[in-house]
Amino acid sequence: MNAEKVEFSRTAGKPIRCRAAVAREAGEPLVIEEVIVAPPKSREVRIKIICTSLCFSDITFWRLKVPPACFPRILGHEAVGVVESVAEDVHELAPGDTVLPIFLPDCAECMDCQSNKSNLCSKFPFHVASMMPRDGTSRFTDLKGETLFHFIYTSSFSEYTVVDVASVTKIDPAIPPNRACLLSCGVSTGVGAALRTANVESGSTVAIFGLGAIGLAVAEGARIAGAKRIIGVDINPDKREIGKKFGLTDFVDSRSCGNKSISQVITDMTDGGADYCFECVGLASLVHEAYACCRKGWGKTVVVGVDKPGSQLTFNSYEVLHMGKTLVGSLYGGLKPKTDVPMLIKKYLDKELELDKFVTHEVNFEEINRAFELLLQGKSLRCVIWMDK
Amino acid sequence: MEVKFQAWDTAGKPIRCKAAMARKAGEPLVMEEVEVAPPKAWEVRIKILCTSLCHSDVTFWKTPAGPASFFPRIFGHEAAGVVESVGENVEEVKGGDLVLPIFQRNCGECRDCKSEKGNACSKFPVQFYEGMPRDGTSRFTDMNGEIVHHFFGVSSFAEYTVVDISQVVKMSLEIPIDKACLLSCGVTTGVGAACKFAQVEEGSVVAIFGLGAVGLAVAEGARLCKASRIIGVDLNPEKFEIGKKFGITDFVNPTSCGEKSVSQVIQEMTDGGADYCFECIGLASIMADAFNSSRQGGGKTVVLGVEMHGSPLSINAYEILRGRTVMGCLFGGLKPKSDISSFAKMYLDHELNLDGFITHEVSFKDINQAFDLLLQGKSLRCIIWMDNISNGK
Repeated sequence: MNAEKVEFSRTAGKPIRCRAAVAREAGEPLVIEEVIVAPPKSREVRIKIICTSLCFSDITFWRLKVPPACFPRILGHEAVGVVESVAEDVHELAPGDTVLPIFLPDCAECMDCQSNKSNLCSKFPFHVASMMPRDGTSRFTDLKGETLFHFIYTSSFSEYTVVDVASVTKIDPAIPPNRACLLSCGVSTGVGAALRTANVESGSTVAIFGLGAIGLAVAEGARIAGAKRIIGVDINPDKREIGKKFGLTDFVDSRSCGNKSISQVITDMTDGGADYCFECVGLASLVHEAYACCRKGWGKTVVVGVDKPGSQLTFNSYEVLHMGKTLVGSLYGGLKPKTDVPMLIKKYLDKELELDKFVTHEVNFEEINRAFELLLQGKSLRCVIWMDK
Repeated sequence: MEVKFQAWDTAGKPIRCKAAMARKAGEPLVMEEVEVAPPKAWEVRIKILCTSLCHSDVTFWKTPAGPASFFPRIFGHEAAGVVESVGENVEEVKGGDLVLPIFQRNCGECRDCKSEKGNACSKFPVQFYEGMPRDGTSRFTDMNGEIVHHFFGVSSFAEYTVVDISQVVKMSLEIPIDKACLLSCGVTTGVGAACKFAQVEEGSVVAIFGLGAVGLAVAEGARLCKASRIIGVDLNPEKFEIGKKFGITDFVNPTSCGEKSVSQVIQEMTDGGADYCFECIGLASIMADAFNSSRQGGGKTVVLGVEMHGSPLSINAYEILRGRTVMGCLFGGLKPKSDISSFAKMYLDHELNLDGFITHEVSFKDINQAFDLLLQGKSLRCIIWMDNISNGK
């Protein structure tokens, strides 16, 4: 029995006192403090987080002041960890297993999980959850005994977290942790959007709006699919050089389009529009631009970015009818966590899928707020936050 | 049936004939004489045998102003006819051929026509089709010498019309001309949308908003695709009985939903939403209802209706993120020249029910009755027979 498992056998069944980065107020720096993490209840596992990374969706719900934002909360949903203990009725996972907590539930049993058309589990419908899925309570308390809210069933900005088995995917430990964590949200979402939701074919022309980690992951997926042209659109001109590493063949600086709209520029440069357009920011106005410049007849626009709740997309009805375009959206790239993540890991280990280029910064847990700063300043793609180093 | 011809010496000359003229938006059509110029290069002059009224005619007939509004105009875009003469370069059809004029262009040469995907011919500039597609001019003049506008490049509410070859489909199979006429718009649009565009799979749950001819044609298509449930949504409760003949299995009347919205009712009755939702009316609010009635994780909404007021479609971004799709198509996503013949064959093989769509017949002089019947919701398709033509044997 290795040292880690010995340690786990001591903590199993008991609350664990550990560090967490708590969001106490909207938009305010996270506070590193000690919290108590209860043992896992029925069908739950407790995970020791190895490293986690910051995704813009954490920022969206960190700075939002209205529901579904809530405080105090433990954010974080992109991570990799090791199972510390499991509830009595959990047999598919064991202490020591390397796992990804994944925000999109996959019970593997309901009609939707069994269907190959959908990745939206109907047993645990996705929403911006603040508690555990089965009993609606929290496993976190602070040292004053106050309940801390979970975040989309994951809450990885903590040395230990409790997650339902539907939100856990076991993975091959051969993949380095600071690559594995990327697959629990951002990179899978982008690669999946290209390969699964859109099903980009070889020789296609693809336009990507927003070159953060998601948009660049779409580019990675398009590259794997053999797209002929991958056009990146961003307000940050630095993304032109960065994008080249991800296979971008063209770059449009959206602030330098002059009198033309972005969609006009793209329609012109593609002789009628791109075969596939991906919106990877989360802005209705960009979705409209993306829709406008996907090719009539067969163009597909994929909505990937998560906007603020309540955001409405508006389309000219006549155009929807006449242009023959498709508008589709997906969560987690249309992928099913338990079956597709192992597939992506294999692609990484086979050197088909490149992950190294996504990690631009690495910090210790104590410096987690630096990760927020870097992302807000547009300076990072993925900043990995190490729990122990 | 055979159409008997007199020897035609009209080739190359203008033809003076009757047309049902729309002079003012929303006002009854007036039977007048018009002059129909001979076909130019790439054009075909057609003697219309019968035509039918589609709600898209009504929508544009009612539109008094704006970029799509043109008066005086000859409406009509669902018809069957015989070629009277052809212009230069036309080899596909000749005098005497039975043809359908189709609003959906299909030049056969552009990138879109050659692609297997989509059916949006890109050879001619997009326009509201008030003139001929290649030069934008009209072939109709009234008795004062004034231009009369075309409609969708078809204008079948006239004894003779001129249509571009990219909009002419030769009917090689012998099917009754009133059934052939239905294939030139409404029924093909609906059946095609279900079977070819959306590709409804066996066992699917389908919801259809609006049970006019197009909606019922979608039902017919969904039935052919072996959908397990076909839910019809209509304000007219009589449409349930009528709809059963076309495969409708369930019915929802929006005014009888009580406190619930239509989409809530459909979500409940389908345990989460329909696999395919079709909007077949032309109202953005109903397109939104259709979207909200579709299942997350794979539900597809198909827009077939021509929006009557220019209202935009508004949907919630989070709902589309949940794996939903929105698509729209004209003519069921079909390419007229390659796909109509397969529908004609399905009719002859007794697979496709066309007879059920024809609820009324009138003669050309009574064309306004066709408008009344449709506006009152009493008809599906009313066939308008040109003079001296009948469906006799």
